[in-house]
Amino acid sequence: MSKSEKIAAVAMTALWGVAVYCFFAFKYPYHIHFQEQYQLFEFTWDYFLSISSVPGGLSDYLGRFLTQFFYYAPLGSVLMALLLGVVQLLSFCIVCKDRRSLPAYALSFLPSIALALFYCDENALGGAAVAIALALGAAALSFLGRKRFVLELVLVPIVYLICGPIALVYVLAVAIREGRKGLPWTCGMLLLLAISPYIASLLVPYPLGRLYTGVHYYRYHNIVPGLLWISAALSLVPALLSGVKLKKNLIPGICTYVLLAGLGCFLVLRSADNVKEEWMKYDFMVRMQMWNRIMYSADHRNPDNPKTVSCLNLALSKANRMADSQFEYYQNGPEGLIPEFRGDYTNPIATGEIFWHLGMVNTAQRYAFETQEAIPDFQKSARCYKRLAETNIVNGDWAVARKYLKALQNTLYYRKWADETLSLMDGNSIFEKREDLRSARDRRLREHSFLFSDTEMDSMLGLLKVEHPENRMALDYLMAWCLLRKDLDRFVQCIPLIDAPSMPKAYQEALLLRWVLTHSDFEGLPSYISPVHARRISSFISDFQANKSSEYMQKNYGDTYWFYYYFRYRSLNDLARDNEKNASDTYGRPYSGGL
Amino acid sequence: MKRMLPILTAVLILAACSPKAKDPLQCSELPDIYPDYISVTIPVGIAPLDFVLNGAQGLDVKVEAPDGTILESRGKGATRFSERRWATMLEKAAGDSLKVSVCGLFEGKWKAFKSFPIHVSKDGIDYGLTYRLLEPGYEIYSHMGIYERELSSYGQRAILENTQFDGCVNCHSFNHNDPRRMSLHIRGSHGATLLTEEREITAYNTKTDSTLGFCVYPYWHPSGKYIAYSTNNTRQGFHVQEDKLIEVFDLDSDLQVYDIENNVVITAPQIKQKGIWESFPAFSPDGRTLFFTSAIQIEIPGELPQSKYNLLKVSFDPDTGTIGKDMEMLVDAASIGKSISFPKPSYDGRYIMYTLCDYGTFPIWHHESDLWLLDLETGQTRPLDEVNSEDTDSYHNWSSNGRWFVFSSRRDDGLFTRLYIAHFDENGVAGKPFMLPQRDPGNYYENLFRSYNVPEFVTSPVPFDRIRAQKAIDSKDRVPFGFRWSD
Repeated sequence: MSKSEKIAAVAMTALWGVAVYCFFAFKYPYHIHFQEQYQLFEFTWDYFLSISSVPGGLSDYLGRFLTQFFYYAPLGSVLMALLLGVVQLLSFCIVCKDRRSLPAYALSFLPSIALALFYCDENALGGAAVAIALALGAAALSFLGRKRFVLELVLVPIVYLICGPIALVYVLAVAIREGRKGLPWTCGMLLLLAISPYIASLLVPYPLGRLYTGVHYYRYHNIVPGLLWISAALSLVPALLSGVKLKKNLIPGICTYVLLAGLGCFLVLRSADNVKEEWMKYDFMVRMQMWNRIMYSADHRNPDNPKTVSCLNLALSKANRMADSQFEYYQNGPEGLIPEFRGDYTNPIATGEIFWHLGMVNTAQRYAFETQEAIPDFQKSARCYKRLAETNIVNGDWAVARKYLKALQNTLYYRKWADETLSLMDGNSIFEKREDLRSARDRRLREHSFLFSDTEMDSMLGLLKVEHPENRMALDYLMAWCLLRKDLDRFVQCIPLIDAPSMPKAYQEALLLRWVLTHSDFEGLPSYISPVHARRISSFISDFQANKSSEYMQKNYGDTYWFYYYFRYRSLNDLARDNEKNASDTYGRPYSGGL
Repeated sequence: MKRMLPILTAVLILAACSPKAKDPLQCSELPDIYPDYISVTIPVGIAPLDFVLNGAQGLDVKVEAPDGTILESRGKGATRFSERRWATMLEKAAGDSLKVSVCGLFEGKWKAFKSFPIHVSKDGIDYGLTYRLLEPGYEIYSHMGIYERELSSYGQRAILENTQFDGCVNCHSFNHNDPRRMSLHIRGSHGATLLTEEREITAYNTKTDSTLGFCVYPYWHPSGKYIAYSTNNTRQGFHVQEDKLIEVFDLDSDLQVYDIENNVVITAPQIKQKGIWESFPAFSPDGRTLFFTSAIQIEIPGELPQSKYNLLKVSFDPDTGTIGKDMEMLVDAASIGKSISFPKPSYDGRYIMYTLCDYGTFPIWHHESDLWLLDLETGQTRPLDEVNSEDTDSYHNWSSNGRWFVFSSRRDDGLFTRLYIAHFDENGVAGKPFMLPQRDPGNYYENLFRSYNVPEFVTSPVPFDRIRAQKAIDSKDRVPFGFRWSD
């Protein structure tokens, strides 16, 4: 390439790197955090062996090594940009030196673009891009050897062991490079690669199919990630098309790059899952206890996904605003308060936070444990380990807590916290120094023993409040549970539990609603109900009876409980049917644990 | 000489790393070692009992056999006894004791602790153990599998893991510890019961229209012609208070005997009673009696603490596959406010070992669970205080000669189940149990976040073809169980 082409090439890579960085740092930072929390990278020999002993294991290990830095999203974004940049450069490196041109260089961005699309999916694992990079690197390296054919052949099982079936990239890169003269060797390499998974299946407990499609590229093992394989195929395009001779390279090269980069940016932005990113953002803020930032975000854009709304409600309660302001935000029923348990790895983690802050420590422990068990690729989670250490400390199971803490001591970002916690435990001052643990300990139930029941949430919350009258959050959640389920009778029964100096707005609205449903006028209305609300409900009733549009009603009453009662969640009949179904469900959940 | 220099340097470095106790301060205390191997009774064919001295920066251990043979181990972490020399030493010490002297380095000073014995029994032990390893979880399961451990070494081999298929590897059972025939349950979307005969594997659908559900808790008939199963509708609930985490219970359960040759499951009204829960069947060594637990049905979850299982027996005719009508109560646990699980007859027919807890059928989640022993000759039953701990002591199995038993215990930390092996002498007295040895037990158990589950002795390596098993599991073909009532 000429000097001007080289300068253009450097600029192209730099621009692409900046674009990738900007995407992950500004558009997708919580996907970066999300990745990090579902792994526990330990600096131990046993951990290394346990991962690297399967085909593709070393790539996976390196991917996890990089992913641990995703604890900080900007750093994670830099690493993503570097990783995708390395893939691009290596894709160009496998082009014969005499065929290298700017158009070929522009084409080398294809695998990187496909990988950027791949990593819009939260289940795409870091090891996948590392595997492509290593396979391309091995191909580039093999060209340097003297007894090349032998080296190329010997490298096949090694590259398979390191990269998994993505080693096909290596074989095909070599095949392209060697052309027809190396056909027998290419056949030999393909044969060797074809039998490698079979040999591996005799040694490691994975089905043959997975050894052919990859064990740790994607979090769900029963899904073959198409984009990854497209990226793998595209990484060979520059080498394949580099033979096409052009009179001038600079302009076509730049045009190709602009076209590809533009298309890439467009596709990546289109593929970004904003709903998931928003939930991940709220989940991250809950994890970091950024209550004000959650409310600020909700003021900016009102969330409507139940998982996200549950994070907002937690923040409102932590900020002592739930009773007043809950219905100023979109509410989608009890599911947006305490989402029902689902056996996947994303739902219980955030719901567990709610139980932790409420003081239901055993339930928080269960949700953390189940989150971790549900991680489809059997990884452990540093976030869950931390929570499990905390719940076991609070419950007095310190031997178990120490196990989790000692594992965290082998990590980069959790070591300091684990060291400090262990030291406080050794000095028996953990509850003095850690307010959150002391608070969780003090909120636990002691007098009432019962089994957790999804259908009796109000009873459980009520007992939390009765045993610990200072547990305001329990009251917030109890009242919100009744209100969101539109169970006004139960709500009224719980009113005596309120010990606030004045009646919060949402409660006044609910009481007013019940009053108008059971009385003909406002005569005898309790004094703690403001006349302002009474006047407003009169206006609401008039408009409602006049069949005003829901848009009108939302505009004028969208911040009231009455609007929620009549226009949100499901109909009252649906609710009654749900209650009936819950009551008839078989008690308990299936058991799969040990004897 | 130049070539020798690196080797010499390495030897010197290694020597420097192995501290030797110098002028130790004699003290009268026993050493605080992990695992606690002080005064345990071990068989000849057991792997070296490596241990760590808690809090010590250095360790100098001397093991002395009665014939004066000495085995030493010095280092900074755990002991590391030579497997070969340990094996030889045990052979020489059979019927006698080893004397273990421990010196530890604490803050730069050596301390010599009171020496302690390790008793070496003449009674042999089986080749190995099989067990399930899984996280002590709730509803969802992650990585798990059935593993085989050779007892004379530290070698562990996976028999089947759930990395191979979608689902859960469940209870496994052998006939009198003979690994050539195994019953193994698989749960999940590929659910099946696998029966193996040598390397042949058949996948069965054990649910019939006439029975409650899938077969659970297997126990082989000594003839190998039958397997007793229970069938349970098992559920779980989660405690909100801290002292217990999980409660596992049956909403219904019955017993049945599977006739392998005729592929029919046999049951009888007396072991499938309405209003009664029957569970955990076990055949007597002569094959003519079926032991099981039984409780009066109660309301779940309100009356759960009133769920008390007793130990009963009923006759069984292996020639005709007939279940008798002569039910007899062996242990009335309900009368003392307790509940029985896992009755396991010793292979000489003299004893039944069982787990006793306050209520219910799932003692692993009950801290008060203990092992008990019933003497079938005298009818006397007693807690096995020799082996019980403050925490859960639960699932157990006998070695083929009846001189050893393995059991699971949560005494280590209250959650993660570990295996202990105890000697059982001809008078029905157990020795102090020892934890399943590991090469570096401190690190091994600290880093092991999975629990041992359903330990079973095996007399030889399990001839199990996991690839063939995987094909059988993934295949949709299931041999259905037939059904008949007992005469």
